[in-house]
Amino acid sequence: MAAAPPFTGTELTNPPSDGISSLRFSNHSDNLLVSSWDKVVRLYDASENVLRGEFKHGGAVLDCCFHDDNSGFSASADNTVRRLVFNQEREDILGCHDAPVRCIEYSYATGQVITGSWDKTLKCWDPRGASSQDRNLVGTYTQPERVYSMSLVGNRVVVATAGRHVNVYDLRNMSQPEQRRESSLKYQTRCVQCYPNGTGYALSSVEGRVAMEFFDLSESGQSKKYAFKCHRKSEAGKDIVYPVNTIAFHPVYGTFATGGCDGFVNVWDGNNKKRLYQYSKYPTSIAALSFSRDGRLLAVASSYTYEEGDKQHEPDAIFVRSVNEVEVKPKPKVYPNPAT
Amino acid sequence: MSTPTTDPLMQVETTCGSLLHELQIIWDEVGESDVERDKMLLELERECLEVYRRKVDLANRSRAQLRQAIAECEAELATICSSMGERPVHIRQSDQNSSSLKAELRAILPELEEMKKRKSERRNQFIEVLEQIQKIQMEIYTASYKTVLDETDLTLRKLEELHVQLQALEKEKSDRIKKVLDHMSSLSSLCSVLGIDFNQTVHEINPGLAETEGTKSISNDAIGRLAAAIERLHEVKIERMQRLQNLASSLLELWDLMDTPVEEQQIFQSVTSNIAASEQEITEPNLLSIEFINYVEAEVSRLESLKSSKMKELVFKKRSELEDICRKTHLLPEANGSMEIAMEAIETGAVDPANLLEQFEIQIGKVKEEAYSRKEILEKVDKWISACEEECWLEEYNNDDNRYNAGRGAHLTLKRAEKARALVNKLPGMVEALAVKTINWENERGTDFTYDGIRLLSMLEEYKILRQVKEEERKRQRDQKKLQGQLIAEQEAMFGSKPSPMKQQSGKKGSRMSYGGPSNRRLSLGGAMHAPKTDLHSIRATPNTRHSKKNERQLNNRDDGFSGLSAGRRGLDIAGLPANRKHSISEVEPPQPQPVFRTPFSPISSTESSKSNITLLEDLNRKHEILQKTFQNTNTTPFATPSKTLTSATDEENRTPKTNMIPVVPCTPSTVSVPMQTAMTPAAALMGMNQIKEMMIPEEIIEYSFEERRAGFVLPKAHLKMVVAV
Repeated sequence: MAAAPPFTGTELTNPPSDGISSLRFSNHSDNLLVSSWDKVVRLYDASENVLRGEFKHGGAVLDCCFHDDNSGFSASADNTVRRLVFNQEREDILGCHDAPVRCIEYSYATGQVITGSWDKTLKCWDPRGASSQDRNLVGTYTQPERVYSMSLVGNRVVVATAGRHVNVYDLRNMSQPEQRRESSLKYQTRCVQCYPNGTGYALSSVEGRVAMEFFDLSESGQSKKYAFKCHRKSEAGKDIVYPVNTIAFHPVYGTFATGGCDGFVNVWDGNNKKRLYQYSKYPTSIAALSFSRDGRLLAVASSYTYEEGDKQHEPDAIFVRSVNEVEVKPKPKVYPNPAT
Repeated sequence: MSTPTTDPLMQVETTCGSLLHELQIIWDEVGESDVERDKMLLELERECLEVYRRKVDLANRSRAQLRQAIAECEAELATICSSMGERPVHIRQSDQNSSSLKAELRAILPELEEMKKRKSERRNQFIEVLEQIQKIQMEIYTASYKTVLDETDLTLRKLEELHVQLQALEKEKSDRIKKVLDHMSSLSSLCSVLGIDFNQTVHEINPGLAETEGTKSISNDAIGRLAAAIERLHEVKIERMQRLQNLASSLLELWDLMDTPVEEQQIFQSVTSNIAASEQEITEPNLLSIEFINYVEAEVSRLESLKSSKMKELVFKKRSELEDICRKTHLLPEANGSMEIAMEAIETGAVDPANLLEQFEIQIGKVKEEAYSRKEILEKVDKWISACEEECWLEEYNNDDNRYNAGRGAHLTLKRAEKARALVNKLPGMVEALAVKTINWENERGTDFTYDGIRLLSMLEEYKILRQVKEEERKRQRDQKKLQGQLIAEQEAMFGSKPSPMKQQSGKKGSRMSYGGPSNRRLSLGGAMHAPKTDLHSIRATPNTRHSKKNERQLNNRDDGFSGLSAGRRGLDIAGLPANRKHSISEVEPPQPQPVFRTPFSPISSTESSKSNITLLEDLNRKHEILQKTFQNTNTTPFATPSKTLTSATDEENRTPKTNMIPVVPCTPSTVSVPMQTAMTPAAALMGMNQIKEMMIPEEIIEYSFEERRAGFVLPKAHLKMVVAV
């Protein structure tokens, strides 16, 4: 990977044939799980640039995640939640929502799969009892609106929905949200992503802005929160604002990358409120980002996210770029902030 | 005289002696004289001798007869053997073997019988072969000379010879039969082509030929006559063929001249297809029959007469063809007047119509050639003209205040408008390209490119001027609006969203505070809600480019006051688009300065709704949704005063199509909307918020994420209510 092309990284062969909804690196290897609107979940070996498996679904796949290196889960627009077994190329249906399932996470803390759907519910599943769907379902938790994004850290789940609601749950007590919040941003939420250190979450909106939030409800804790503008273009005095589709934290440094409909990937140092790096522009919107387990690789899904409706667009592609330390390592600060 | 057998002879001796003794006794008694006695004894002796002589003669004769019979037999045997070409089986044995004659005869007789039998068999064979030969000869030569069986030569060689002869004859016979059959088949094909009855023809030639298989006459004469008949028919065929081909060529000529329809030509397909065929190639039955030739001849003469009567018509037709081509290619048919004159000339008989026809042909060829060269440009012209029509329609449509009424087919017109806008956007580029092409064409040919007699370039120029005039008109109105907007923009700029969360928050609050009042007032007054719109515009621009574009154009055209905004918006959109497109558009509509760009603008929700097929009615109600939002917000934000929340709502949830709202509301018959409107005033908002909220929620504007839009996901109504219940 050292000799990767300077601009965009290695483009994976056999990319999805339609919009890429999500991609994730495995926690154990450089395997990459990719879900797509072409109704297929693909498993790549990112370092080898090999397509390892394909799983056809009944509808577009809106999200996917790893369980371990042998299996994963997917959330599909055909309302189903599936478990994918890689080496057998097999898939079981864990269960169904009443509407397309938008996001899916696997909690290593509880061994449960958590899904969020446009049917305004969050559901927890136990993937081990793969026999009957009733037994799989652990619980259903009504949300104020359709779930748009969800992130997980430790025992906390952050759920972002339409109507700019944000609910924070404790997985050990899902009956009530631990916190009910409204997004600090004025516009529709695109993505939430928890900090790796578990102290808060980043939330992006369709209006080129990212808010950095903290779980600590005390005044001092809340005083740390802030938001910043990004993925904008200023041209001849006009501001063009792009949706921020995805946020990915670096597993080692805690810095994070954002991808927007402007086709740029920016790397930020949240603590120091600095932009560390901007990668050269990708052909089209950045639909999803994921760092590999050691943070050495960054997978970038360059795929039109339908922000302007059905139109001609660049082909969907996945780029895997090797990450230079300088691009993601926080820079020593002149005025160090109080530790966060 | 020997007497080997003693007994009888002895008896005879004894009897004779005793008799003599008796006689002497008698004589002694009688006393016969010795002379007498001697005489008597002599006589006795003579008589005895005579008897002996007779018996010997008899025996001798029988022996001779026997010998002769044997000889005869042998002779016959020899004859037979020689005639059969065989070595005599019987070799005279009498020489070596001195058996008796009677034994010899007994031996030879069966042999003779055997030979006779064989001979008759051989003879039968000969006869059989000869008969066959004779029969064949009879068939071949009619009068056959009878070959007589030569009994003396029945050898196998001869038989072999005859067999050879027979085979030769048989071969000849089969050859002849074959020949006859060949002749017959060629005769039959000839007959069929010429439409003559085959059987009758054959019968005429030779009744024998007409007979059934196997007995056909194969005589020289018959074959000769057959060949002659074939020759004769052949000649007939060639003659008729030439005649038919002559007819065919004249047919073709006439068809070509009169544009005879293909169906009509089809009937004579067989004739014309053989126009250049050689004699052997014409095998279709009845093709050369007298009736058919007459039929074709009749057609030719019919066409001939038709031609003379239709000459004028033909000339007319050619002329209209010419005119048609000219019309299609928007050329002016040249020398139209001269044509009229020519027509008159025909009528008076001054000009040979055929000549005129030829002239027309030449002219048509020329025009066609030119049309081909014009084709590409004409296609572009057509596109341009249809685009202009769409533009006109769009303008009309935009001036129609009721266009968002949820009438039947409203979604169709919406779609059309959307397309038309895209098209209108491309118009200037289209015109440019067309002009360039036309200039190229003109340079190439050195003539003007005319369109229905008018020079295309001048048409384009005219269009451009017209467009400019329109543009200026719009600009003027825009400037007016701009002034109005600038004030608000300045305000907005001051309180615009800031990057820092703290500042932002305060800014938000501030903005709510600061122009919550005015905006509310405006709202209640039914004026355009500029401030929130502005905010929205600046922020929302890109995320919803497509939709906003759509709306923007609607707005633009409906209310010229917003056109500046639309231009700005367009410029904005363009920024994200490929450069060439931007270029083409910005040529026509230069990007507007910032303030204009920030002028009120709303429409995401309207497009969203149209996208998700929510009725326009709902669209109209959106105003109320703002309210609802407001109320919700009041619930959630502890520090919000009614007026503040209202503004914040408008601020935050600026997906509401405020621009649409006011002009549209009056024409919506929605029952819900009316109370809503009243509720919009701050006073209304103050009271009974919870109740209102409950009322509102079901009609709340539904926001959708990109994914939901893409998946075509629509939140069911029932769902909404359910949620409310929850």
